[in-house]
Amino acid sequence: MAYQCRLLHTGYHNAFYNMGLDQAILEAVAEGAAFPTLRFYGWQPSAISIGYFQGMTEEVDLAACRDHGVDTVRRITGGGAVFHQSEVTYSMVLPLDHPLADQNILASYGRLCQGIVAGLARLGVSAEFAPINDIVAGGKKISGNAQTRKLGCILQHGTILLDVDVDLMFSLLRVPSEKARGKAIADVKERVTSLSRLLLRPVTFDEVSAALEAGFAEALNLEYRPQEPAETECVRAEELARTRFADEGWTLKR
Amino acid sequence: MTLQGFGKPPGCKLIRFTAELNGNHIEGIQIRGDFFAVPEEAFEGLEAELRGTDLSQVAERFTELAEKFHIELQGITGTGLAELLMAAWMNSRSNHQPE
Repeated sequence: MAYQCRLLHTGYHNAFYNMGLDQAILEAVAEGAAFPTLRFYGWQPSAISIGYFQGMTEEVDLAACRDHGVDTVRRITGGGAVFHQSEVTYSMVLPLDHPLADQNILASYGRLCQGIVAGLARLGVSAEFAPINDIVAGGKKISGNAQTRKLGCILQHGTILLDVDVDLMFSLLRVPSEKARGKAIADVKERVTSLSRLLLRPVTFDEVSAALEAGFAEALNLEYRPQEPAETECVRAEELARTRFADEGWTLKR
Repeated sequence: MTLQGFGKPPGCKLIRFTAELNGNHIEGIQIRGDFFAVPEEAFEGLEAELRGTDLSQVAERFTELAEKFHIELQGITGTGLAELLMAAWMNSRSNHQPE
């Protein structure tokens, strides 16, 4: 028997609303007001999100981001800085007592990431889960994922790269040692790939999100209920965007 | 004195820290980086309770506090943090040796 899952395609939003909506969905699922939920979304304008424990000013060149019109936001999940420019982002929220919710975090990454692996396979890309939280294709990273557990639920969100502009990314990010900036850029170019590079053609957000939607259904045995976010979730997302994710007290807390 | 450092000890992601020391004891510490600690908010309690810890005891105390606060960690260990702190402390001492 398939697992019922709410499916949301919420389009493009700014970083603060995107992070607010992920948290609002988490709260709604925790309250029992919503089914377990899979959401696909994009970022407009482009943004850099940093992990919960990262120091904003030591990871991100805020002036360069302002100059490029790039938002900056702190996530509620750990992990590293991500440049959200040309990618599909997903989030999945499950109650911790759901059969798909492994209690062990590493095992949980491994299970939920199978949805991405299956989605990439539908695009003709052979990929595999690479612990702790990555997916690699041809030995190079194509997807990064981050997970937290709050209010009795798992929230996992992550990105699948459509294309990547490493030089622009590094003009926005700081590196631990400026002397090693060139090497850091070369390392990322060597370690990271994208769907357009692998498939040798442009790929679209809609094409990839459709493949991922099918991949998650196949790998996790999901039966979708396509919906729009509830009005209460949108209002809560706006509130969280304003009071938390766009607030300097949160953004600069580390 | 203020001690700062960063690095990727074996088995860890990038860890950065800023620590206030009184002699060999931690007066305050903030640990940053691209590691995971769930629940995230509990990690702030762990940082607060590292206060008073002797540098030589950081690895054990960090592990003990992670258990106390039921924090699941990925990409950071007490041993890794202790290694970075000790390296920064040794470095600061060698930089302040009298001529």
